[in-house]
Amino acid sequence: MIFKRGLTFRFRDMRLSSKLIVTYLLLTVIPLSLLGYLTYAQYARSVEAQIGEYMPKFLYQANADIAKHMNELMKLPEMLFNSEDSLAILRRSHYGNRSDMNRDRYILNGYLTRTYMAGSNPDLIGVYVLSNGRLFQSAKISFREQDWQQSLQRYGEQWGRDDRTRILLPGQIDLRFASDVPYVFLLKPLFDADNRKLLGNMLIAVDLSFIDGILHNFETNERAQLWVMDGAGQIVYHTDRSKIGQRDPEISHYPVKNGSFRSMAGGESRLVSVNQSQALGWVLVHSIPAKVLTERTDFVRNVTIFVFAGIVLVTSLIAVLFSWNVTRPLQRLSSLMKTVERGNFEVDLKVPGGDEVGTLARSFNSMIGTIRELIRENYQIEIRQKEAELYALQSQINPHFMYNTLETIGMAVEEGEREPVVEMVTLLGRMLRFSVSNQSKSVTIGEEVQHVRDYLTIQKYRFEDRLDFAIELHLDDREPHTMYTPKFILQPVVENAIKHGLEMRKTLEIRIAVSREFGARSGKTDLVMRVRDNGPGIPDERLEQMERMLRSAGYEGRSNGFGLSNVNARIVMMHGPQYGIQIHSIKGLGTEVTIRIPVMHALE
Amino acid sequence: MFRRMVLLLAFFVILCACGNGKSGPYEVVFSMDGPPNSESASITAVPAGKRYTIAIVPKGVEIPYFQYAAEGAREAGAEFGDEVIFEGPRNADAEEQIRIIEDLIDRKVDLLAVSANDPDKLVPVLRKAKQQGIRVITWDADTEPPAREFFVNMVEPETLGRHLMDTMAMSMGESGEFAILTGSLAAANLNEWLRWIRVQHEEFYPNMKLLEVVPTDDDQNKAYEEARRLLAEYPNLKGLLGNSSVGPPGAAKAVREAGKAGRVKVVGLSNPNLMAEYLRDDSAQMATLWSPKKLGYLTVVLAHRYLDGAKPADGQEIDKVGSIRVNGDMVIMGEPLDFTKDNVDQYDF
Repeated sequence: MIFKRGLTFRFRDMRLSSKLIVTYLLLTVIPLSLLGYLTYAQYARSVEAQIGEYMPKFLYQANADIAKHMNELMKLPEMLFNSEDSLAILRRSHYGNRSDMNRDRYILNGYLTRTYMAGSNPDLIGVYVLSNGRLFQSAKISFREQDWQQSLQRYGEQWGRDDRTRILLPGQIDLRFASDVPYVFLLKPLFDADNRKLLGNMLIAVDLSFIDGILHNFETNERAQLWVMDGAGQIVYHTDRSKIGQRDPEISHYPVKNGSFRSMAGGESRLVSVNQSQALGWVLVHSIPAKVLTERTDFVRNVTIFVFAGIVLVTSLIAVLFSWNVTRPLQRLSSLMKTVERGNFEVDLKVPGGDEVGTLARSFNSMIGTIRELIRENYQIEIRQKEAELYALQSQINPHFMYNTLETIGMAVEEGEREPVVEMVTLLGRMLRFSVSNQSKSVTIGEEVQHVRDYLTIQKYRFEDRLDFAIELHLDDREPHTMYTPKFILQPVVENAIKHGLEMRKTLEIRIAVSREFGARSGKTDLVMRVRDNGPGIPDERLEQMERMLRSAGYEGRSNGFGLSNVNARIVMMHGPQYGIQIHSIKGLGTEVTIRIPVMHALE
Repeated sequence: MFRRMVLLLAFFVILCACGNGKSGPYEVVFSMDGPPNSESASITAVPAGKRYTIAIVPKGVEIPYFQYAAEGAREAGAEFGDEVIFEGPRNADAEEQIRIIEDLIDRKVDLLAVSANDPDKLVPVLRKAKQQGIRVITWDADTEPPAREFFVNMVEPETLGRHLMDTMAMSMGESGEFAILTGSLAAANLNEWLRWIRVQHEEFYPNMKLLEVVPTDDDQNKAYEEARRLLAEYPNLKGLLGNSSVGPPGAAKAVREAGKAGRVKVVGLSNPNLMAEYLRDDSAQMATLWSPKKLGYLTVVLAHRYLDGAKPADGQEIDKVGSIRVNGDMVIMGEPLDFTKDNVDQYDF
């Protein structure tokens, strides 16, 4: 568990590029190397299996050849029984004089030479007949041992329970030929079937080199070892001559008697194939180092390893490049994000390509752009609002209005009208207090309406009969004091109406209506203030120009209608484009300005 | 993460599986071994453990030929551990032989090997033996084939008969009068040989005249008496041929005593031991026979193997005998041997 948690922790915290490389190694290098190893192992195995399968068949054939040859050789002693003379000599047990004995020896030795040594069989080295203490012989090569006659005599009187030809293996013989050829003795009891007596024994020394000829037919590799042993492990013949006569200690451990197996005995892996002949019981063994078998495949293996290493190198390089390619934009993104974090929005992530990283970069870019835009907009709104407020402030204390008002008051004082003066001064004072005292952007509808009523009342004093006005509030009793409106939105509209109306007409009538109405654009009940006059109206082109001006966000100086656009701009900034000012005008009949704001019950 | 662990584990298992196979010093790659068989047993032919009682019935127990055959039979019996009963009539008498066979049936022997004195008379008693579960074979002299399983013959009758005639002709110079001393006129083997002797005679030797075929009942004394009679009766008699083993010695003895050694030629079937003295002093010229010891030995070997369930086969190699031939239900041991004064000492039977 500790290991697992540790690994989890470590892997999670690794860098993405490291993760990618590790994953690549896990997914590519390990399966690839595993596959390579398995393929090679399987291939080497199949080579071994192939040889392991056909070699026993060869051995079987070779063993059969050897057995056949040996069987032919084992029939050779019978030839002695075909010669009556030879049998007569062997049947003699005693001699009257020496010359008889020497003559018999001469005859039989001559027969042996003619029949066996000079015969067609080249594998015979020597033939020895031991009978009644006599030794008849004919040999191509002499023995090394000086006392070979005594050694041979030991076999002379041996008598098995039958008269079959037996094979005396090298380990059972302590005689060596001068040329040290590998050989076996064929021991044949000479049994006189007619007289039911043993006449003696015949020994035929057989050169086993003929096995070389048989074995070389199918195995020419000099690192392969081939040997023949009897069922008990007594080595009869070996490609390594020095081992002839020894015992193979492993024979009892051999897992099969006919087949192939891999042996680790002796520290070296060898492929051993064995076959035991039915006829002789001889075991023919072929043993070859596994290395030799796979020598050719080793070249393939080396090339494979080389190519594999190359591929791993190249693909690793590609993997590193790839992971770098993936992570580099991410790193740049993260560093750019840090820059943005510090407040610098003037960045641009340039990542080409349409993949996820490219998309991410584009999204990032667009996000930064949006943020930048939002900041800029907010900034502008702020500036515009400040400007609007400044203007409103300036309008409130319009020196022109002050001057006109004071002049009107002055005229009234001259005429001695005390009451209007007092009222005008009171109204002017209240207006100034409205402007100065309340710093918030919103005021109640009652206050706003009171203010414009004060303004109109003062103007009425000035223009007397030329101006007439009426204000209608279609609201409940409490509502004018609980509903709020942006401050200072009615006065600019009224001011505008008076200015243009009285320029062209002798009298002007202004009607202000405040009511609640359903708004199609906002989708709910809005507060609507209508300022209607019966002035000259606005020409169509001028109206269009004014409407364009209202819709456009910017300001175009304090030209005509600046007051209207200022009001409109403030409402739009505060409440959205679905609110604001609309102008309807019919030339010669008058103008109606509609101010639409949301219903607000609390200070915002 | 869990999935990765499983993956790693799987790799590990695969690697382990790859490395695993090499435990232990040997790993079999290919095997041609069938179910383990002990084929090596056939090399050292250990006799089957079962022991049998084998009765060898000769024509006559006192005839030296059969005594030698008994030697060979006992040799084989000792090798196999079988009990060999050698019983028969004193001389070649069919009636007595039947009685002895009856007796052997009562003793419940496993096998009867009979050298029949009469091929027909013995049939009922051999049938009786067969009914009692006793195996019956014949040797030396056959019965009617249905009465026995097979017949162990020494030599091909034709070869022997023609050869005997040839040796007679050779020693007589292919002309003159001669007589034949046979054993029993009933013995099947003797009659068969006799037939081939006559065939060869008529075919090649017109200048030779067969005077008489005289039965001796396989009795050496009777053979001697008959030879004397013939010598006296036919002054021009030039040759005596015996086709049963007692004939030639009796004839040779008569010739020697008549002082006609070398003038009246004596040849025929007989044991070298019986003939040795006559061959040396030229009372007899040649004896022909096979080894009765070998025949006795072979008979018991074949009998034993037959009881083991194996019938003799053509070309079969019998230890201490050599290869045998089989012709139908007749086993032929080999070729006849000729004994002269030069080689007669080599043989001990």
